[in-house]
Amino acid sequence: MAVLSDNDRIAVWLQWMRENKEPVTGALTKAELRAAIDAADTWANDNQSSYNTALPTPARTVLSTPQKVALLMFVVAKRYLTGA
Amino acid sequence: MATQKIPFVPEDAQFLATAFPQYLKINGAEYPVSVLAYDSGTKESGFWKFKAVNYGSGNLTVVIRWTSDTATSGDVVWGAAIARIPPDSSSQDITTKTLATPATVTDSHLGTTVRREMSCSITITSLDSIAANDTVWIVIYRDGGAGGDTMACDAFFIEASLEYSDT
Repeated sequence: MAVLSDNDRIAVWLQWMRENKEPVTGALTKAELRAAIDAADTWANDNQSSYNTALPTPARTVLSTPQKVALLMFVVAKRYLTGA
Repeated sequence: MATQKIPFVPEDAQFLATAFPQYLKINGAEYPVSVLAYDSGTKESGFWKFKAVNYGSGNLTVVIRWTSDTATSGDVVWGAAIARIPPDSSSQDITTKTLATPATVTDSHLGTTVRREMSCSITITSLDSIAANDTVWIVIYRDGGAGGDTMACDAFFIEASLEYSDT
């Protein structure tokens, strides 16, 4: 899978600005935030194979791509969003 | 000579079917705070109507008081425009009238505290031939899609006033 389209990245960018409820205490403009969205998408694209390889079998071969994505989302959310 | 001031508060705003700011009531420490939350990514508009009581002459000044949801930096592009109809003398359908050319201002978040209050002024020079006691509709919008609008979160509209000379 390639990186997200420009429109999809814009959609993520706008969603983040709309849904973020934690104060951003330093200076950060919309353009600078967009650069971070792009970087996060690029990182996800570059490391998708690494994540897949890290999964043990049989999960790696049995789970679908959406199921693997959900698994990663839940783990990351539990690690970093708990209490946020 | 005196300055007339007409207040606009979130509770009185009207909206079209799309592209409107969300009305929010935030329970503060000791009192509720009502705002209109204007999106950071697109243009959203709120509308009010009023009678131009004792309008004399000159431009209109819209003084907007606002704050941010989560940011402590960045700029917000605010805009305003009016449409005026004189009763009796005009046969204009009030539902098909269009707005005059808008005016805008770019105001910066002053930093330090997220939800501190900022104030800015828009000078409306496209007056649509406004005269005393006309019925006037006004739109106040945030142009979140504009390149000059850089604040990365909702802008909270607290209140505004329209000011003009009565002479």
